[in-house]
Amino acid sequence: MKSKSQNKNIKAALTLATTALFSNAQAGAAPLPSDASTEDAWSFDSAFLYYSEADRVSAAEAIISAKKTYTDDSVLNLKLTIDALTGASANGAVAQPNVQTFTRPSGKGDYDIKAGDTPLDDTFHDTRVQLNAQWTQALAQNYTGSVGAHISKEYDYLSLGINGNIAYDFNKKNSTISFGLSHFQDTFTPEGGIRKAFASMTSAYGDDGDQSGHDATRIGNDDDKTTSDIMVGFTQVINRRMVTQFNYSYSVVDGYLTDPFKVLSLVNTGGVAQDYLYENRPNKRTKQSVFAQAKYHFDETILDVSYRYMWDDWKIDSHTVDTRFYIPLGEGRYLEPHLRFYQQTAAAFYQPFLMQGEALPEFASADYRIGEMTAYTVGLKYGMKLDGGNDLSFRLEYYRQNSKSAGHKAPGVLTDMELYESVDAIIAQVSYSF
Amino acid sequence: MNKSRKIIVTQRPDGFCIQFDAMASACEVIAEIDDKDLANKIAKTVSEEVWRIEDKYSRYNPLSLCSQINKGCGRPIEIDDETFALLNFADTCFQLSDGIFDLTSGVLRKVWRFDCTDNIPSQGSITKELKNIGWQKIVYDNTKIILPSLMEIDFGGIGKEYAVDRALLLINALTDQPVLVNLGGDLATNLARKNGEPWQVGVEHPGFVDKKTMVVSLFKGALATSGDAKRFLLKNGKRYSHILNAKTGWPIQNAPHSITVSAPQCIQAGLLATLAQMQGENAEQFLLEQEIKHWAIR
Repeated sequence: MKSKSQNKNIKAALTLATTALFSNAQAGAAPLPSDASTEDAWSFDSAFLYYSEADRVSAAEAIISAKKTYTDDSVLNLKLTIDALTGASANGAVAQPNVQTFTRPSGKGDYDIKAGDTPLDDTFHDTRVQLNAQWTQALAQNYTGSVGAHISKEYDYLSLGINGNIAYDFNKKNSTISFGLSHFQDTFTPEGGIRKAFASMTSAYGDDGDQSGHDATRIGNDDDKTTSDIMVGFTQVINRRMVTQFNYSYSVVDGYLTDPFKVLSLVNTGGVAQDYLYENRPNKRTKQSVFAQAKYHFDETILDVSYRYMWDDWKIDSHTVDTRFYIPLGEGRYLEPHLRFYQQTAAAFYQPFLMQGEALPEFASADYRIGEMTAYTVGLKYGMKLDGGNDLSFRLEYYRQNSKSAGHKAPGVLTDMELYESVDAIIAQVSYSF
Repeated sequence: MNKSRKIIVTQRPDGFCIQFDAMASACEVIAEIDDKDLANKIAKTVSEEVWRIEDKYSRYNPLSLCSQINKGCGRPIEIDDETFALLNFADTCFQLSDGIFDLTSGVLRKVWRFDCTDNIPSQGSITKELKNIGWQKIVYDNTKIILPSLMEIDFGGIGKEYAVDRALLLINALTDQPVLVNLGGDLATNLARKNGEPWQVGVEHPGFVDKKTMVVSLFKGALATSGDAKRFLLKNGKRYSHILNAKTGWPIQNAPHSITVSAPQCIQAGLLATLAQMQGENAEQFLLEQEIKHWAIR
């Protein structure tokens, strides 16, 4: 007969054996109805997105993403993105009470902008092909590792990237800490070459014209930049209904950060443009951001709220609040309203124009994207489950961006011009998972 | 198997009752739900799972995996993960019981026939069969099992309880409403009833028809009974239980007629009840020491 202490062990040992039985027997037994998912098979997500700014850029984007889950729970993710951009983009110059003529980026030919209009360069068109591959697998008990590669090619741009991430689950998998690194190497070969900082935009030359004036403002055909990111994340399951996530990231961008297509108007004390000078930005930018997200599952609906604070050594601070609310309508259909609010301060070297007679700053850019602005997005997504179990969804969003003065006083004729034009855009997306 | 498999789904005031026969027992599923489609889905899922396990592990079915293994005669027979997990579980039980619980002890049926008569076998015939018993002689890994000639394995001691747990696992993926699965007295439930009351389960008193059925209450978890209700031998006033000591080949003496044990899962409850029975007159003591809720009838 066993002793008392040995008998005590029987109950515990049996509990362990039972747990092992039901976790190991699953593979041979009939699968649970809920996990009838196709293990070891490819699943696909596809999306078609259309983005259109009023009078400006339009972008059409097609995404196809394929995912394969192996029997050991390793996951291979491949994603192909193709974008086509067309339309006009602000070239940085200010509006004037008279017609303005600008040279096209190539240096051959020019375009006119009507009096009172914000100068837009309408030669903006490009196609980008992007391929991402990511491999994720368990490394040891509670450790998950992931590595990925990225390649993106445009007519004038090549970007290569790699990334690695490790995650550790603890506290019965209710908590996860992750650490990630990524590195990108980009090469930019802009139309018309790399501009000399603050060189004057030269007049266009014809096919048989003299190119020497143009060439004097150029310092090369291409330039490159590197981006290195470190990210630390923490995910915590609070209870059955709530999960939270916190991220911190540190990013250093080094190299050619100037936009070769952007100029600044050089205006006299009357506000009249005398010249257009190519912009110049610092060749390094250090960004940091903190991100917090909470998802709360009510009885049926799910609320997803996130906040991001980003700051950098260009003195751009930004706040982003993003909210989604998932409302199931039954039979696999759902509605998801989306609200996003964004605010940023201007970069230290942002200025809408340069003043004649004043010393040239070391850096200056009139690019509205690094100026002071607020933006919001209002959207709605409608999704449904098709008969075969595939998901189809439609998303329609409206985006508005309001640029604001960062305190630059407009002289003379510029007081009557719209220096901080708003941007309106419509985003439409169709997604299909199969 | 050439038997007709029928499922009866009946609506009751407080839910649905699903009945079918499997593993030589009446199987009953009580679901406190009001959705008929869901009831039909549960009926289909549970019955298919229990019949699947029966077809795979019954030693009576010549096409079962169990029969293939038993006909192996020293050759390796391929097994899957589920079977490997069950063999590991049986191995643990063998170790824990010090060799009294042994999946290979079924061959003793050839000499012991528990038909309520006084037909006690001779020691000679028992000794002869003991040579074909011994879990330690079995070789297995996660892909195959090798059984020596004349040896047999029998999942009868754990199969029904395993089926109950598997059935409940599948049910939990379909609904979060209270459901009870009862496979011939071995049962498990996921939740207390909707009215907050425990499930009332009748445990048949072994052998004595005139005694009232004992009713036990169960909020959540599983119950299994080990007993000799209809399976015993009686000679010279001595009752020989059908629970055999795999080491001696003889029935365990002075064990309670019936022990019902409560545990989180049915297979645990079943094993604890069997292991308790194997302690003979110390059965209750064994369960008390381990603080296991139980009901014994002597």
